[in-house]
Amino acid sequence: MSEIIFILIALAVCIFAFLTVLSRNVFHSAVWLAMTLLSISGIYFYLGAEFLGVIQILIYVGGIVTLFVFAIKLTANIEDATIKQTNQQVIFAGILSVALFLIFLKVIGFYPWQAGLLSGESISLKQLGQLLMTTYVVPFEFISLILLAAMVGAIVIGKIKK
Amino acid sequence: MIPLNYILLVSAVLFCIGIFGVLTRRNAVSILISIELILNAANINLVAFNRYLNPADGLGQIFALFVIAIAAAASVVGLVLIIAIYRHGKSIFADELNLMKW
Repeated sequence: MSEIIFILIALAVCIFAFLTVLSRNVFHSAVWLAMTLLSISGIYFYLGAEFLGVIQILIYVGGIVTLFVFAIKLTANIEDATIKQTNQQVIFAGILSVALFLIFLKVIGFYPWQAGLLSGESISLKQLGQLLMTTYVVPFEFISLILLAAMVGAIVIGKIKK
Repeated sequence: MIPLNYILLVSAVLFCIGIFGVLTRRNAVSILISIELILNAANINLVAFNRYLNPADGLGQIFALFVIAIAAAASVVGLVLIIAIYRHGKSIFADELNLMKW
């Protein structure tokens, strides 16, 4: 039963990702990106990372996709269907991506992943918060510094100069 | 539970689709969207390895959290740069931005 659910989620991720990359209209592309990210949060829920799934929906679908929509709407006349959206390297890029995927396929099939598997419950939200506040507190604080720097930098770059 | 290989397969598909998008799209916003797909593929791998190889240790989930935060900061700065370039030159197509090319 859970295998069928996972296969459905995985199919949704792959189809939505293809639509994200292939759709001509950039706004549609952003909407398909939101659908892809929602499906990926389904994978997180399946893997027992509930907190990460909720964060994925909140930050990605609620924040980043909204930013993308704003950027698309602020840069006018780029969603016109007559404008070409791909460059001349489609065939070469396709060959490269498929070759890369075949290499991944070989590696994934080759390595005996099942040998090192551990069973057990996934980490709880309480333990996750304790880890963030004790062991990984330095990177946690650095992330807040990076977010502040990004915010200040965005305001400075985006300011209209007279 | 589904075997680990299948989750890695989904992540590999997502990564290759993202690479294809980065290489083929002309629009700079679309390139950033494809980069988000690549980052999410990496996140799926982190969470899957954490769940299957060492579920009692939350390191993979914490790093996925950091990756999400960095991705948010990166996309904010990238989109603001794109909007600034658009104001300056009225184009956001990556193959027309050749101002710094000699």
